[in-house]
Amino acid sequence: MTVAQQKTIEESRFDTLVATVIDQSSMDPVDRVNKTRRQPASFRLSIPPITAFWILIIAILVIPILLFLVTAFSPILLDQGTQWFTFSAFQQVFSGLFLVALRNTFFVGVLSAVSAAAIGLVMAWVVLRTNAPARRLWTSATFALLLAPSYLIALGWQRLVESGGVLQIMGVDPTLARSLLYGPIGITLILAVKGIPFAYLVTSNAMRGLGGEFEQAVRVHGGSRRESLKVMATLLSPAIWSAMAIVFAESISDFGVAATLSSPAHFPVATFMLYNSVEAFPVQFPLAAAVSWILLGLIVLALLAQSRALRGRSFRVFGGRTRPTQRQNLSLWGKVAVTTGIVVLLIVTLGIPVFGAISASLLTGLGSLISTHSLNFDNYYRVLSSPLLRDPLIFSSKLAVISASIAVILAAVAAKLLVASKGGISARLFDFLLLTAVALPGIVFAAGYIFAYNLPLVNTMGIHLYGTAALLVLAYIATSLPLTSRSLVGNMGQLQESMSEACRVHGSGPIRTWFAVVMPILARPLLVAWLLTYAGTLLELPVSQLLYPAGSAPISVGINKALGNYDFGGGTAMEILAILSALSVVCLAYLLFTLLAPRGWKRLGRVI
Amino acid sequence: MNTSRKSVTAVTISLATVILGTLSGYAATAATKTSVVKPIILYAAMGYDAVIAKAFTAASGIPVKLVDDSTGPLLTKIAAERNNPQWTALWVDGDTAFASLDKQGQLLAYKSKVKLNVVGTKLTPADHSYTPTGTTVMAALIYNSAKVTSVPTTYNDLLKPAYKNQVGMNDPSQSGPTFPFIAGLMNQLGGKSNGVAAGELFLTKLKANGLQVFPTNGDTKHALETGQINYGLIQSSAAEGEVMDFTTKPVAGFVPKVIYLSKSTLLPGVFGINKRASAVQQEEAKKLLDYILSPAGQKVAQGGDASGDSLYWPVVPGVNALKGLSVFPKSYQTIDPYFWGPLQGKVVTWFDSTIK
Repeated sequence: MTVAQQKTIEESRFDTLVATVIDQSSMDPVDRVNKTRRQPASFRLSIPPITAFWILIIAILVIPILLFLVTAFSPILLDQGTQWFTFSAFQQVFSGLFLVALRNTFFVGVLSAVSAAAIGLVMAWVVLRTNAPARRLWTSATFALLLAPSYLIALGWQRLVESGGVLQIMGVDPTLARSLLYGPIGITLILAVKGIPFAYLVTSNAMRGLGGEFEQAVRVHGGSRRESLKVMATLLSPAIWSAMAIVFAESISDFGVAATLSSPAHFPVATFMLYNSVEAFPVQFPLAAAVSWILLGLIVLALLAQSRALRGRSFRVFGGRTRPTQRQNLSLWGKVAVTTGIVVLLIVTLGIPVFGAISASLLTGLGSLISTHSLNFDNYYRVLSSPLLRDPLIFSSKLAVISASIAVILAAVAAKLLVASKGGISARLFDFLLLTAVALPGIVFAAGYIFAYNLPLVNTMGIHLYGTAALLVLAYIATSLPLTSRSLVGNMGQLQESMSEACRVHGSGPIRTWFAVVMPILARPLLVAWLLTYAGTLLELPVSQLLYPAGSAPISVGINKALGNYDFGGGTAMEILAILSALSVVCLAYLLFTLLAPRGWKRLGRVI
Repeated sequence: MNTSRKSVTAVTISLATVILGTLSGYAATAATKTSVVKPIILYAAMGYDAVIAKAFTAASGIPVKLVDDSTGPLLTKIAAERNNPQWTALWVDGDTAFASLDKQGQLLAYKSKVKLNVVGTKLTPADHSYTPTGTTVMAALIYNSAKVTSVPTTYNDLLKPAYKNQVGMNDPSQSGPTFPFIAGLMNQLGGKSNGVAAGELFLTKLKANGLQVFPTNGDTKHALETGQINYGLIQSSAAEGEVMDFTTKPVAGFVPKVIYLSKSTLLPGVFGINKRASAVQQEEAKKLLDYILSPAGQKVAQGGDASGDSLYWPVVPGVNALKGLSVFPKSYQTIDPYFWGPLQGKVVTWFDSTIK
């Protein structure tokens, strides 16, 4: 059956649970089977589940973002100015340094997205489709990469090239490297490094669902290995575009790199200007909102590009007849080359941040005029007894578990909605909304949440969420939902509905069908999504900073406080301990999955 | 309702129950805690605020809920809360933000029962809308005496060839205390009438002499330690802390010393009470301010961050600065925060585009 035929058939069928509710008028065969099983009226809810889902999304995503954005036009609405309607913030944004920053942001975003997606794709292929000996190194390093905050990555590079730094100690003149780091090249490099693990996860998840039959078909019909790779890349294009869109959105909204390198490099980027508008005195929310509108504009461009590239094709490749793939046996030289590449990549992506962390938290005297360097754990001993560490880390871990668990469930529904062939405008709007949320820096959410949930009107309605951990959890869910959903889209998009339909036709209910058909395929991606959300939430700063309940500071606020008080050693030691705690959770989760998950759940992406 | 829909509804209901259950648990905890008493919600960015809050609660029985962060995020929070403020009191370095809050009518006038010394009185606005609790200086000049022998005595000395490519300062767009320093320079060089132009000219000349700009106090100190610069203009508490650290653990090649160029601009730690807080909380906040200025409170504050923020000069008579801290600069000035505060955006933008 050709892809086009599949698509035609699929479009006439019941698509997803979510799509069913969206469009109840066109019932599929399964619905017709179930039509007779009417439930008593007492079971019916006046609010359909999809409406409830949208209400939740509107409450946690749309309203806070909109309220923030509206201050660009009408600052008086939220007491941020005196004008009812004005474009003055936009006039500022489209002039001077702001304009330069927007231009820089666009180019840096595109370059880092393309670089990260290309490297992520190659790494996914190396890990899943070859027998390169070093491939396992990369798999285990991915989460460490995801956990490395921009601050540590930038710090590592700074320690390498600074005056009196490692390169100089080794007798290498760091001037050229320093001038490259503090400029567009350095900023793009670090943003791409940050983006590689995202791109890898998205593309590798999709590649796991891509059976070996497609490559075999090309080869059987006389296609070369190159042509086979080309077909693979085409079939993976939704994931590749998704990865590029995510990295682009992440890059244009990143503040860590912007704060560390953009300012000293005299290379302004939009997020730096945005943060300066709201975290420097005088606080100018309208200006920050105007910058946010522009970031949204950039996301529209990214989505248009994605939509144009994928239009008119279907990529549903995972079905009941999907075959395990076969690893490609590399020659000796191939193994050497690939292993060298992985090692170099690991040094660039992980080695340098680790070095930054070690130099800041374990080593005294590096990069300074102090002639003796010593390695000790003083900073760790000190912070272990600090009130900024223990309780905040426990508090953040609890919030991260709750947020990740809820976010993953919502993300699964969201991903289903996104890939629903009958989703139509609803799915496209939702896709835009999610990517919008990725592209907006955390502080926009945080301020939007204060605007929305601290309104006197909201208090009058009896909702008193501002200043509670509950609102912080909701904000964590909202900020993590876009990435979590998008990380599942690749897999969800590959599922052929025929498998679920077959299960349903044979008498299984939707829940049983979900566990029998969908869970075996999605179990691993869901686990990865949960861990991704957990780790991201644990060290999240901007939202935590503005929304944490008085008296209960999350760990990121404690770390920031230590760094803000110029305790770089202590702050970095706390950061390392928090990362280690997250890595422990990752290891434990994988161990439990390996030991407890049904065998079928572990078989997706099996390679022989 | 078909089976599919029923199941989705069931999942949604279960999920909603879990979310609401979890969240209501947290919200309920918060509500329970707040229903019995009215704790002070203190937004603070002082290194010793946590120990003060604890000591005050122990002494008075009044609970304090602390939102402890940098000045920037706290001011962002206050600005975002403007139509429904939640804070009872704000306690951060620098009086320009307080002058702005006062102009907006957000501060409650209160004259503390504790009498202030001459410096403290100079730093107090006529309407008592906020109160200084101690002061630092911005900027102290920290230099590596193991590497250089020239020591400037005035700001104009820094324009001489001897200091070419040797001087560093913080970026006012990232370092809160740095705008007051620039405003102080402007005030000193040209007063309110011509200060901005005179200050811009001076900074332009300093830039021509190789001025280097680093994000914050910590980065400028690091640049000094790495030899990128030999003179750094940073906040006095950070500079004095660095000197103390290296006096305790001396190392060859790096012997930092601090001097104060004429005139030193004062950067006070400031406490203000929210005019829209409840009457109960306002009274409690007044007690907290009085406690901070009391000998007991000062003792706690000075012990809270001994190598950082506690290195301030007290503004109450009879309380001495921490041992090891330099003598309070003889030639100092205070700037009018009501005049210079509103100029911050314009000056920082100019600095961003011209000096950085």
